[in-house]
Amino acid sequence: MSKNGNGHKKYAPFFGCLISTKHSQFEAAVRRTMPKLGAELVDLEGFSCCPDPIYYKAADKLDWLTLAARNICIAEEAGLDLLTCCSGCTSTLREANHTLKHDAELRGKVNARLKIIGREFTGTIEVRNIAMIIRDDIGYDAVAASVTRPLENFRVAIHYGCHLLKPGAVMAVEDPAQPEILQRLLAAIGATPVWQTKHLSCCGTACQNEDMKTEIMRDNLAEFAALDVDAVGLICPTCFDQYDLGQLQISRKYQTKYEMPILYYFQMLGLAQGFTPEELGLQRHKVSAKPALAKLGLS
Amino acid sequence: MVKVSFAFKSTIDAMIGGAGHSLCFQCGACVGDCPAAQYSTRFNPRQIMLDAVLGLADRLVTEDSVVWECTNCDNCFDHCPQDVRPVEVILALKNMIHQAGLSPKNVAPLLHSVATTGCTVAVSELINRRRRELGLPELVRPPVDELQKLLGDKKS
Repeated sequence: MSKNGNGHKKYAPFFGCLISTKHSQFEAAVRRTMPKLGAELVDLEGFSCCPDPIYYKAADKLDWLTLAARNICIAEEAGLDLLTCCSGCTSTLREANHTLKHDAELRGKVNARLKIIGREFTGTIEVRNIAMIIRDDIGYDAVAASVTRPLENFRVAIHYGCHLLKPGAVMAVEDPAQPEILQRLLAAIGATPVWQTKHLSCCGTACQNEDMKTEIMRDNLAEFAALDVDAVGLICPTCFDQYDLGQLQISRKYQTKYEMPILYYFQMLGLAQGFTPEELGLQRHKVSAKPALAKLGLS
Repeated sequence: MVKVSFAFKSTIDAMIGGAGHSLCFQCGACVGDCPAAQYSTRFNPRQIMLDAVLGLADRLVTEDSVVWECTNCDNCFDHCPQDVRPVEVILALKNMIHQAGLSPKNVAPLLHSVATTGCTVAVSELINRRRRELGLPELVRPPVDELQKLLGDKKS
């Protein structure tokens, strides 16, 4: 973050591969809603994949740290904190930043490679997920103040996903066993967060065993469907794929038909701020968002 | 017959995050909240740590290694009283498997895509059109030569 005299907040957004390509509706939602919270997004040039915290990290951790450090260097050179919108990018960039700030040996190895391209990791910025930035720099009250169309009587099953919160010592958002950040964000736009047994569960995407992945998804969806909710709310594009596209796969494999709208938090914030469903790309989802929009009187 | 590899310990200790395995005292705190252990017939993080301690390389560094069933949720990282960070040990084992040329088929294309385009997803005209419809700025590729210099001979 960079603040000038009147408290103006500036961040370098890092949208990452999935949001900027397959799920650009989430990028649109973030770009439209953040200015209404008094935050300016300053686009920087040259970011690559974060890189991917599952398979890239699984191939070579030093390559993974080095490419992550290069992305962090770009923000350091601009003097801006990184704002991440994807839990995968959050995982990679926040962990890499933490590791390289605390482990001199690894920092030495990474900087020896970065020197080849004339860059250096100096540890001068923070990497934070957008939800954490809103809580800490902007405040839930400012979110509530930006709302022109509260999502009244709109019941949302929360899915935290793993990498906003864990590992707790590295991500340092709040206790991963008892988080409240998403409930507070939903309450700020007038929606009703609905507690359920799967709210902290893993979506299963990163598991290489396809049967296990599908079974995890099936059980989580069954839990959501058993609740009286209007949508599942989440903040991670990977979890989104697992539940949006995943519902079609589950319907085919188990002949259990689900029609559960899956919404990214910033799409819901955008609706509450008065943007149209089209401006937030809500017509793009595999599972129609129409029932949720109808509940809000928007279709 | 089970074969113990005496060189295994020094190899895994040299991997980033690999040395944690020797702190494991087999309490099983990593198992209870492990989604992979719940859904798999063979995945057990406590057993993987034990196999690593015993140097059972033939059970861990193989083409069909059980480590790829890990969901990377990080629960074990948080629950371990010994700071073993089992998920990081598992990732170190994956690094060893990759070095041995035995990683799953989806890994190499992903590495290639990042090294040659900077992105894991192939950017199509449909993706660009959807971005335009939403009024988003045009996607700009990162300087791929920088990435390739950083990756050296591993660029493909």
